[in-house]
Amino acid sequence: MTGIRNRIRFNWFEQVSAAPLAVYRIGFGLLMLFSTLRFIANGWVEAQYISPSFHFSYYGFEWLPYPSPEGIYALFILMLIGSILILLGLFYRIGATLFFLAFTYVELLDKANYLNHYYFVSLIALLLIFIPANRYFSLDAKLGLTKYSKTCSKWNIRILQFQIAIVYIFAGIAKLESDWLLEAQPLKYWLHTAHHWEFFGPILKQDWVAYTFAWFGCIYDLTIVLFLALKKTRKIAYVFVIIFHVTTWLLFPIGVFPWVMMFATLIFFEPSLHEKILNFLRVLFGHHSPAIRRHPNVSRIPRTVIKGALALYIFIQIAMPFRYLLYDGNLFWTEQGFRFSWRVMLMEKAGYATFYVSDPDTHAEVEIKNCDYLTPNQEKMMSTQPDMILQFAHYLEEEYKDTTVERFGTQMTFTAPEVHAEVFVTLNSRPHQLYVDREHNLASIDNDLSERDWLEAFKE
Amino acid sequence: MKNYLIICLIAALLVGCKKDDKPEFDRKAMLTNMASTVIQPAYTGMAADLAALHTSATNFTANPTVTALNTLKSDFIEAYKTWQHCKMFDFGPMMDYGIKASMNTYPTDTVQIQNNVSTGVYTLTALENVDAIGFPAIDFLLYYQGETAVINSFTTDPNATNRKTYLTDVTAKMKSEFDLVVSGWSSYESSFIASDGNDAGSSTSLLFNEFVKDIELLKNAKIGIPAGQQTGGMPLPDYVEAYYSGISTSLAIESIIGLKNVFNGATGSGFDDYIKDVEGEDVTVSLADNINTQFDVCKSAVNTIGNPLSDKVTTANTTVNNAYLEIKKLVTYCKTDMSSTLGLLITFQDNDGD
Repeated sequence: MTGIRNRIRFNWFEQVSAAPLAVYRIGFGLLMLFSTLRFIANGWVEAQYISPSFHFSYYGFEWLPYPSPEGIYALFILMLIGSILILLGLFYRIGATLFFLAFTYVELLDKANYLNHYYFVSLIALLLIFIPANRYFSLDAKLGLTKYSKTCSKWNIRILQFQIAIVYIFAGIAKLESDWLLEAQPLKYWLHTAHHWEFFGPILKQDWVAYTFAWFGCIYDLTIVLFLALKKTRKIAYVFVIIFHVTTWLLFPIGVFPWVMMFATLIFFEPSLHEKILNFLRVLFGHHSPAIRRHPNVSRIPRTVIKGALALYIFIQIAMPFRYLLYDGNLFWTEQGFRFSWRVMLMEKAGYATFYVSDPDTHAEVEIKNCDYLTPNQEKMMSTQPDMILQFAHYLEEEYKDTTVERFGTQMTFTAPEVHAEVFVTLNSRPHQLYVDREHNLASIDNDLSERDWLEAFKE
Repeated sequence: MKNYLIICLIAALLVGCKKDDKPEFDRKAMLTNMASTVIQPAYTGMAADLAALHTSATNFTANPTVTALNTLKSDFIEAYKTWQHCKMFDFGPMMDYGIKASMNTYPTDTVQIQNNVSTGVYTLTALENVDAIGFPAIDFLLYYQGETAVINSFTTDPNATNRKTYLTDVTAKMKSEFDLVVSGWSSYESSFIASDGNDAGSSTSLLFNEFVKDIELLKNAKIGIPAGQQTGGMPLPDYVEAYYSGISTSLAIESIIGLKNVFNGATGSGFDDYIKDVEGEDVTVSLADNINTQFDVCKSAVNTIGNPLSDKVTTANTTVNNAYLEIKKLVTYCKTDMSSTLGLLITFQDNDGD
């Protein structure tokens, strides 16, 4: 018992090897460099950030100015510079800050592009600003821009491990629900349609495969951190990490996320492994550690401040995924408290939203063609997410306010338009049901964090 | 030894489970079937009908008799109906040549047509003429007034010669452009079948998207806009398809038949089989059956309207709106349940399923 307690009540400021941090820094910089280049090369900057004319801003971040196309590209160039600086450990803190700000700015521009793994990247970049991952095996140390140190405070490593634990454990808890465990949905349908290999196709179509994947995935998410933490099981656990993430990478268009996780979980390994990796890099690049006397790793920030900040961060990370408990209704249906909660691959939703702008005084009414205002991806996301439905409705209200439009040779004047919508949604292979009734004037409903009682109740 | 046992066990499991399986559904087979029994026959039929239309237009202009006019009219109706079976394939060569717009942009611009006819100087491929060509232009030229007046416009009218030339220029253009589609398709077909994934550019995705878009066109362009859905309930009779011949409702029915044929892959492998394969056996009422039923409901709802739609939008408002609502239900099925079941991706972007 005392052994376990000691393990938990460790000294956050105990000096431990900084090798895992150096490897983490290099790996993160490299992956971010690669994924930013990939994003640009795929033309997604244009598709996701330049071509849309309307942007679904985040609650609380509506004030964020939307950059010009040049500005967007500048942000991506800042990300590239930031990731290179992180990778090299050169002006590291500036690099990490640049990367964090540019990346997070871009993410906050449009929630139609929200992905859990982007949120993960933002959090890691934020943590890296405060973690001195540049004291060892870095250009900063070599050039004397920072104090060279082979050691770091234990919390530097622990907080990165904690972040991974949060991702997996909450992803596992989220899977403890009937659709996933009892119906193997949406996995069953996804596996069925994802393949196009002659050999694996028929196997992936078997129901038992979907159930095996669902249960294995759930147990994996819930337990992998424990097995990575225990020395005895660490190696075999890492084999499972590889199997799990390579499988998801092969089956789903999940991007670089599997690679980020496979690399990030290395932080659980002992320093000796990281030293080996660094030695390999030393041989490869002929790097020599500067022959500077070892400095004690003294931070100028008082320990209580660091402890307080860490406690706050940990509290927020644990509390965020549980905020859905504050609301009534089915989480998958209302999506209140869905984002920033590590709910990955849990639901398949498809919606059909028809918007009507009308003015009771002038008897004008038009049916909206969503594609006139939204990209296909935005329309898909909007059709199933209540806050985005409201945002789009409010946008339409602004567009039609005090305007006269001509449709098919007919003039119609709108002064104070009402916006109504009829939305149907299907959730995890259930037959579609009414999501938003046309009776509500969405223009008069505020988009805030209160209960979404204008949504139709979910019927099992 | 241990490894050997594990391999045997896995193999046994796989074989054991494969036995009770239905015949394998395979996207490639569906695409092959779509190409050979749905798309190809529609294209061949269209090419033949346009050739016949052009021939009877030439015959009529050479000898503008009532008989020749009636032959021309019936060939026109025939071709216009066949077009309803082609227009949802707006990808590959049909998209490359912009056929959809040049065949059937309505309402037709009668002022532009009259102007083209009286001056005799025009470029039919020019953007300004996109609503002065195709089926709607012929619809106007052959039906804008009674039989005698139409015959006169091709005989005694001062612009008769120009009008004859204009008519055959329009039919010649339709024929020659569609011949390009037919020959283009024969080389496109193999890449259509080869692209058998579920990604945003795959053929299943293209076919599905155009299929849904065409149902939406049926809902909006054929019924909704004339019924006043876009104009605060004020009907727009002259926005119906085939306004002058008054065959709008028949064309809408034909369109439903064509779309249902695509859904079922004619009698072979189609979206219906794909849906049933994904659903598996534990589904009591298949989505595919629901959609087929809804197709039939739509067809009978449109049939109830009767011809001409341009009158019915004012005289039988309720019936027209009912048809509109039934077609909307069909769109809802396709955009929610069907899209979700087929798991087609709409973008190339990363997705972690949130």
